Amino acid sequence: MAALMAALTLGLSGCAMTPADPDEAQESIQVIAMDTVMIFSVYGEKSTHAAYAAEDEVRRLEGLLSRTEPDSDVSRLNAAPAGEEVTVSEDTRTLLEAAQLYSKITDGTFDCTLAPVSSAWGFTEDSFRVPSRTELNGLLKNVGWDKFHLSEGQSLAASHDEGVEIDLGGIAKGYVTDAIAKILEENNIPRATISLGGNVLVWGDRPDGTPWRIGIQDPARVDVADGYAGFLNLTNAFAVTSGGYQRYFEEDGKTYHHIIDPATGCPADSGLTSVTVVADWEQGESNGTLCDALSTALFVMGEEKALDFWRTSGSGFELVLVTEDGRVVSTDGLTDCFAPDETSGYAYETVS
Amino acid sequence: MPMRRSPKLRPGAWDALVVLAVALLALGCGLMLWGRETTAETLTAVVSVDGREVERVVLDEAVGERDYSGNGYTLTVGFRPEGVTVLEADCPTQDCVRTGTITRSGQSIVCLPGRIIIQLTGGPVDGNAPDVVIG
Repeated sequence: MAALMAALTLGLSGCAMTPADPDEAQESIQVIAMDTVMIFSVYGEKSTHAAYAAEDEVRRLEGLLSRTEPDSDVSRLNAAPAGEEVTVSEDTRTLLEAAQLYSKITDGTFDCTLAPVSSAWGFTEDSFRVPSRTELNGLLKNVGWDKFHLSEGQSLAASHDEGVEIDLGGIAKGYVTDAIAKILEENNIPRATISLGGNVLVWGDRPDGTPWRIGIQDPARVDVADGYAGFLNLTNAFAVTSGGYQRYFEEDGKTYHHIIDPATGCPADSGLTSVTVVADWEQGESNGTLCDALSTALFVMGEEKALDFWRTSGSGFELVLVTEDGRVVSTDGLTDCFAPDETSGYAYETVS
Repeated sequence: MPMRRSPKLRPGAWDALVVLAVALLALGCGLMLWGRETTAETLTAVVSVDGREVERVVLDEAVGERDYSGNGYTLTVGFRPEGVTVLEADCPTQDCVRTGTITRSGQSIVCLPGRIIIQLTGGPVDGNAPDVVIG
């Protein structure tokens, strides 16, 4: 009788207690860091561990790369007198090198020394104002990727010229998504979506085996929750969007957004309202960082120069450009994974 | 000669116990499965302040407004069966108000200055809806 009871108990318990497919376990957490809201949805047996490890990594990197935290590497570097070498962490050094590289290859349209100019417009402190031309010209003298210096060899020292301030905000979230991808890989995570606002990493595929579906916010309909410029259907990929609609203020009937053109010191007036850069995740590569830096740089360049840059740069990334005159231009590498939103009213073009 | 029941077939106290155990376990199974379905199918707004969940509002039953405060800012949030809207906020950016009404699972309203997030979970699955929004 005891055996019968045990068998019945075990058998019946099984109907509700059968372990779920380990791949279906899910952990979803929200993290507020780096001036944005991050949502990590991670699947798999080690989903909880990986999600919280990702949060720890975000906090660690924010502690190194933040321009506003007084003890961060970047703050220490900015506070140091001109020419004095400051020893920074390997992560900070790597990202400073990447920032210089992307500045060089984009002809300076990405620049991590623009911080004083952004501050003059009030974008750093949320105290918006329109600075004078004279003020901007003065600040632009201290802007340029060649105005901070990294020591040669294995040393982790960095220094800057007089009046130069570094802000890695335009590239740090991309670096964070690269670091999170490493955590997902190490924990054998089968699928995940990692959203850092304008930066997204999709890992694996959806639970039903189809690619993850990413909605690109329509810059013209930011007040509509379902307003999209199009959809990306992706697996194992990074996508980063930069748009003037993300942060802006109005004064005397004119709108001023937060993406500053290093050539003028003013909000970029390039004819684009958003740029999305897409790249596959590749083991050992830093394609999240690449997408982040290029999304800003190509927004500043404008449609023609951005497409020229894409054509001459090889096939490492793809683009979706939304233009002020009502077009959505996608590059032909996205033919199979970009879908228009038929309700958007945009004219869709594919370029090669 | 009247047939006698075998003593082995006569229900005893142990048998009653087994029947009771089976009935209880079956009830338990049913309740667990029913609970899972309810959770999966009911559109629910999860409100978090500074990373901590402070309230869950099942939209089927919700009509009304509630205030949530975080980091010195207050949001007035309207809940209706069709969706959730931030009606009013005293934060400087007003991004939460501009988001409009969210209506399906996965959508969220974020007030970064107030560190308040309202995210919809559950509800019917729409395979064409985006899993993530970028921008």
